[in-house]
Amino acid sequence: MLLTIIGAGPGGYVAAIRAAQRGAAVTVVEESEVGGTCLHWGCIPTKSLLASAEALERARHAADLGIEVPGPVVCNLSKVRDRTAKVISTQAKAIRSLFKNLGVKVIPGRGLLIDANVARAVQADGTTQDLRSDAIILATGSRPALLPGFPFDGTTVLTSDDAVRMQKVPKDIIIVGAGVIGCEFAFIYRTLGASVTLIEALPRALATEDAEIAAIIEREFRKSRIRLLTEVKVDAVSKNADGTVVLVLSNGQELAAEQVLVAAGRTVNSGGLGLEAVGVRTGRRQEIIVNDRMETNVPGVYAIGDVTGTVMLAHVASEQGVVAAENIMGGDARMQYAAVPAATFTMPEIGSVGLREQQAAEQGIRVRVGRFPYRSLGKAHVMGEYTGLVKVIADAGTDRVVGVHICGAHATDLIHEGALAIRMGATAKQLEETIHAHPTLAEAVREAAADVHGNAIHVLKEKG
Amino acid sequence: MNPDDIKYHREHTWVRVEGKRATIGITDYAQQQLGDIVYADMPEVQTEVDADSELSEIESTKATSPMVSPVSGTVVEVNEDLADSPEIINEDPYGNGWIVVLQMSDPTEVNDLMTRDEYEKFLKEEEEK
Repeated sequence: MLLTIIGAGPGGYVAAIRAAQRGAAVTVVEESEVGGTCLHWGCIPTKSLLASAEALERARHAADLGIEVPGPVVCNLSKVRDRTAKVISTQAKAIRSLFKNLGVKVIPGRGLLIDANVARAVQADGTTQDLRSDAIILATGSRPALLPGFPFDGTTVLTSDDAVRMQKVPKDIIIVGAGVIGCEFAFIYRTLGASVTLIEALPRALATEDAEIAAIIEREFRKSRIRLLTEVKVDAVSKNADGTVVLVLSNGQELAAEQVLVAAGRTVNSGGLGLEAVGVRTGRRQEIIVNDRMETNVPGVYAIGDVTGTVMLAHVASEQGVVAAENIMGGDARMQYAAVPAATFTMPEIGSVGLREQQAAEQGIRVRVGRFPYRSLGKAHVMGEYTGLVKVIADAGTDRVVGVHICGAHATDLIHEGALAIRMGATAKQLEETIHAHPTLAEAVREAAADVHGNAIHVLKEKG
Repeated sequence: MNPDDIKYHREHTWVRVEGKRATIGITDYAQQQLGDIVYADMPEVQTEVDADSELSEIESTKATSPMVSPVSGTVVEVNEDLADSPEIINEDPYGNGWIVVLQMSDPTEVNDLMTRDEYEKFLKEEEEK
């Protein structure tokens, strides 16, 4: 089996490894570095930046835990950047050594389809190489959407790609879009000292999250004095003589700031791939249309990750890569989306999986909801992390867990118990009956599951 | 300890009236029950609120608890100092720990509230329940 993969992000590199493990001869065409957006411009650098911001925040509040820091705590942004670069290069090396170990070849350059059995690699200097292939996986990812009307310049009007390489903490910044990326950056910039205003066209921040969870984050915005303006759009963008950026909003309000970060969606990278010539079908947003085996309409041509426009998450791309690789190697794997956990690295974090309460209502599913606040946990007090909530949503008829939503410290790690419960069809009762170690934050998951039936232990009964 | 120049609401809030202006806070009993207060979620100025409805939410390390307005009116002032130092509510609940000022829409509502002695009697009864 000769397999060519175009793109070595979290979809492409995982597909390459799995196919090679199954005995394929794999060639990956990558125009940049292995690891893709996730490693170089997304998940990893933002979390590295966040780790620095959190260290700063902890140092500021160390006195609460009896630790006195003499003198002011300061952020050295160039050292923060150096550390991020090191984290990235270590991870990229790790992928390369996995490739080497399994005999996966990497050809630098842009990849495109010539026909269903030939992919072409075009190198920076124009030299081309045609790769005969039994199967081809398209894994070219996405890039930040460039909203029209914004004069992107990398220093005052930024995309998330610019923000992850933060050159300077601005005095003030306006973030357009209060989705996952906008909210994560809002906390990072605020912690590093910028005054932050978030602008959102929808009625609330984090529109895809459970409403109750999003409300907790909106309160954290108020606590940290991040200003959130909802149901407004940007009508016009201009620059003052002193370089500040001026936004005119749809409600007539005018806002000025040193920097503007546009975090409003991503565009799929499906252009220039030769899709039309080969007849690969795409959708309204130019996304490549695939079935649950990750096959396109052209036999032998597969697509995975952001370019398919399914669920734009690194771990979904990786799983799609595994599915595609298994199918190419003769298996019959199918992608399932019922238990896809999502991790949002706000301060505090959000982990969510399955149905949101409002989705259950929209779909006419009768549910029972259990809740448990972090502040009722011993461990939360030990850590000084009082803000947080675990919410377990179970089908009222079968008691099966259909959704788990967590906002609070380590929510992104805790959520996987919920993913497992949904994947295995576990009931809230079974989750409650699973012994959880003390003292841990995970006890809140057990208590929230117990609360589905009014059985939580650490809850005051309403009097009267 | 509880002053006698203010009126008390059974949800453990108090009001100090000057003309139509009503300064509102939580009682000493309420702050003791809550423990260390970490945040008071303030309404925005201009917000209209009815008596007996939620005016703010107070977060402590132990609980998140709604703060109920003792009277109806429009929020004209919020205590900005609480944003940085919510612990003032614990330290001085009847003084610097005030939470909002309302412009009352119906000052007669104050007559329905408890005096200090009535409130202390009420607390005793609550404790014995």
